[in-house]
Formats: sequence, C-alpha cells, structure tokens
Amino acid sequence: MHTIDYLFGPNAAVFWPPVLVGLLVATLCAALSPLVVLRRMSFIGQGVSHAAFGGVGIALALGLGARGPGDWTILAVVAIACACAALGIAALTDRRGVSADTAIGIVLVAAMALGFILIQHAAQAARTSGSRPPIGVESVLFGSMLGVNTADVALAAIIAVIVTFTLWWRRRSMLFWAFDEVGAISCGVSAALERTALLLLLALAIVITMRLAGVVLATALLVLPGATALACSTRYSRVVAISLAAGIAGVVAGIVLSFELDWPSGPSIVVAEVALYALARGARSMLPAPGA
Amino acid sequence: MTDAATQPLAPAATAALEFDRVCYTYEQAANPAIRDITFRVEPGERLGILGPNGAGKTTLVRIALGLIAPTSGSVRVFGELPAQARAQRWIGYLPQRSRAELAFPLSVRQVVAMPATARLAPWKRPSPEGRAAVERALHLTGCEEFAASPIGRISGGQFQRTMIARALAAQPRILILDEPTIGIDVTGQQRFAEMLSHVQAELGITVVVVTHDLRTVAAGCDRVACLHRSLHAHVSPEGLTPAVLAEVFRHEVEGIFGDVHIDAHRATECRDPAHHPDHTHPHDHAHAPRTADQSEGGTRAHD
Repeated sequence: MHTIDYLFGPNAAVFWPPVLVGLLVATLCAALSPLVVLRRMSFIGQGVSHAAFGGVGIALALGLGARGPGDWTILAVVAIACACAALGIAALTDRRGVSADTAIGIVLVAAMALGFILIQHAAQAARTSGSRPPIGVESVLFGSMLGVNTADVALAAIIAVIVTFTLWWRRRSMLFWAFDEVGAISCGVSAALERTALLLLLALAIVITMRLAGVVLATALLVLPGATALACSTRYSRVVAISLAAGIAGVVAGIVLSFELDWPSGPSIVVAEVALYALARGARSMLPAPGA
Repeated sequence: MTDAATQPLAPAATAALEFDRVCYTYEQAANPAIRDITFRVEPGERLGILGPNGAGKTTLVRIALGLIAPTSGSVRVFGELPAQARAQRWIGYLPQRSRAELAFPLSVRQVVAMPATARLAPWKRPSPEGRAAVERALHLTGCEEFAASPIGRISGGQFQRTMIARALAAQPRILILDEPTIGIDVTGQQRFAEMLSHVQAELGITVVVVTHDLRTVAAGCDRVACLHRSLHAHVSPEGLTPAVLAEVFRHEVEGIFGDVHIDAHRATECRDPAHHPDHTHPHDHAHAPRTADQSEGGTRAHD
C-alpha cells in the first residue's frame, strides 16, 4: 500500500499538504457545487478557471513566481484574473446583450491564448539567460501534487472558511435569487449582490483548486459533487450534505488512485468524481424515484 | 364580483396604486413603450389590465415594482415610491412562470417561505408569526395538500397557486400578478380565479392582474383597463363589449383574443356613449355594464 507508506513513512511531510489541500478544496467546491449546477454556472466556471491560465502567464510576464507555481504573488494575480473574468462575463451578459455562452467562449479562448504566449515567452527568456525553468504548462493545465506545501494548506483553509461562511451567511437570499431571480428582486433581494458574491466565491475556489487539479479540471470539482447529489435527493439540505460527502469521497479516492497507480492527481480525482456520479445515476435508475 | 363591479369601492385617501401621467421610453427606442398612463386602484380592489403582447404590460409592471423609473409622470404605492414600497415588502409579485428554475430540490413549503426568510439575519430562525403566515398562505391558496411535494413535480395550476402563496407569505398590501394563467387549462384558470376571490375576501388585499387573456380579467376583476401603449378604457368586465374590444385594440383583436368571436352587428348594438359612473379618466371609453345576455351573444370563447 503506497498510500500508507507515503502518509506515515519518513516523507510524510511531503505528502500530507496535498492531501489536506485536497480535503479543503473538496469541501469548499462541494459546498458551492449545488448552486453552480442549479444556477447553470458550470460553463461560467470553465471560463473563470481558464482565465487562471491567462493569470499565470501575466504573473510570469511581470517577473513574478520566483518560488514556483505556489508563489503567493502568482496566486494573487491568478485570483485577480479569475475575479475579472467572472465579473467580465457577468457584465457582458447583463449589459451588452451578449449571450452567456458567447461571453464565456470569448473569455476562455482569449485567456488561454494570452496565457500560452506569455508562459512560452517566459520559458524562452529563462532558457536564454540560463536560469531556472519557469512553471510548466502541463502543471498549470492539469495540476500537480508536487510542490503543494504548507502555505497552500493555509491558503486553502482561509478560502474554505471564506466560502463556507459566505454561503452560510447568505444562504437564504442566495438560494432565493438562484431559484427565481425576478421573484427575489421583487422581495427586496439584490440580484447584483448575490450574483457578484457567488462569482467571486467561484473565482476564489478556482485559485486553490487549480493547484491540485489544474485549470482544465478545476470545474470538475465544482460540478460533479452537486450533480451527483442532485441525482440522489430532492431536498436541498440533503443535496448539500450529499454533495459534501461526494466531493470529499471523490478527492480521497482520487488521491489514493494517484498514490497507488502513480497517476497525476487532477485526472485521478476527476475519474473518481465521474465514477461516483455514474454510480449515483445508475442507482437512481434502478431504485424508485427519491421522495420528498 | 358583479356586485363589486356595479358598486365600486369608495375612493380612499391613499390609493393602493396610483399612476399619474406615466410615460416610459426605452433607450434608443423611437416611440414610448407606454404613454400618459393614469389610473388609481383603491385598497381592496381588483383591477385587470388587459393588453396584447407588446402593449407595454411588462413595462407597466416593472414601473409599478420600482425596477425601472418612469421617463415622466409619477407612481405611488400606498403613498410611497414603488422601490420604497418594495423594500417594505408591501408588494407581492407573481412573475411569469418561466422565470423560476424548477429543477431546484425545494418543497412547495420551502418556496412559499422564501420571501419571509430571505432577509432574515443568518443566525435567526423564522419567527412563529412568520411560520404562521406561511401556513396561512398555504391554507388560503389550497396548497396545503401538496406542501411537501418537490416544486418541480406539481401541475401548472398548483405552481401558480404556490407562487401566490409565496407572495402572500410576506404579508404584502398589494398583489401584482403578471400573466397569472398563462399555460394553465380552462379548469385550472377557473380554480385560480376562485382561489383569488377567496384570498381577497379573507385578506382584503388589493390585486392588480396584468394579462393578455380576456378570460382571466373577466373572472372576478372589479374593473378592467385596456392597455395598448396608453390606457384606452376603464370599465367593468361586463363593460368589455365586443365594440369596446374592437375599438380599443383594432387590428390586434385576433392576436390578443385568439378565437373570441366578434359579432359586428351585436357589437354596434352594444355601443353606449354613457360613461361608467365611477373612475372617470381622461382616456376613458367607458361603457355601461353589459348584460349576461349580451355577453353570451357578443362573444364566444372556444376552449
């Protein structure tokens, strides 16, 4: 059992941080997931997470990231890029009459193109000067457990607290807005406030999730736990609980797969989450429909 | 409601809803969406506003809710600006059905409780009064029997009743219903009208129904205003003679009333220059109430 060797062997200090970040990421993403799925924001999540790629490119172009992909300066730029992308998509959709999928499509490809050019440019510059190679494109795209350190654990914990506390604080008004925007506005709920809050939480979640799962797979953690939970129950409180359980179970299973089979962490977690979703859908088709 | 139609409520000092020469023109639009709209709804009254698609109904509702400010003119809800009235939760609003996400894993009771809890401090539980208001709203609208059902698994008529209960649970002073019977069959529409009358009788609440459906306003409204950019008539449902409809909506008659058959001969007979005794208005094309006999002879609705 590699997992036990890794976690309780002499190099445990290397392996625990990615596991802890995984558990925190699973918790905060799974808490957001039901709203993301129900509010049909999966594709927005995809746009925002790809903006992180552009953010990494900008950070490298600015000469940041001396301490590798976990450098807080890179994460700060990525957070700003994700927040700008989230709010930009919302503004384009709201005020400019652009459809949501067009707005997301534009932001997604622009961020990818910009990110790729800037990361390649930084790599060439590093080769020319003979300095340490910058961050690899692959680790940004698909994530890596290597290099996840205690600073990431602290950041993940802070983001998890912000996300879960905000969701608890605004749970009633945000759910009302997500269920029926027009009805909520007529009852004095601020749709702009709820939407902005949810988009910023999404951006924050992606900043830390991409360390583990990469920008391509980060949205899997925001979509699959909620989708799995919605296949299991028609009660919102149960959906949130099942989403949390599915998110954590998927991340644990993915990390074990990664340790045992030496698979990359991001894809392993996604495979485990997809398997859980398939299991839930299969069980639902065989069992009578879940009651109220 | 015939009695109410013939014996309208005496004007109160403060109107439940009052539009005074309201115009609204959208940005970059050549013509106003609505122009010179003036009307007054007394507390406890039910006003039907009838108009075809594109007549400005949605604009009028958005102005009444304070979501957009009129280009000119003024609007008051119980003497306050609409946005203030909305902030004080005086306005209960029933949006068109398509706006809500039916995939949400919420029970009917949870949906009804939403406005009552939406702005509650996060650490507070709903008060016993708030919970009682939710149960009363469920009872009044006949939603009790399916209160535990998921919101996505009830019929169109039940959904509309749920939405009314949700609006009532916040204990508003005026209900604004936007196309409340769209997508509901004729039996469901009938039940909906009866439920609305029951609610109004119990709570004495003011109701404004905005619709393109003649049957919806004919069933139980004290007065009907016909909207086509401006308000063209201000009559009781019985006053909606074919002549009025033909004159007010002219070319839109088929578009709005669909298969309602207009008998041109009878329509001419129904013309009556006398103003309705109450609620006079600069744009009134008011008419004497029509008799049941005229009603059956002049229009025929195919279901």
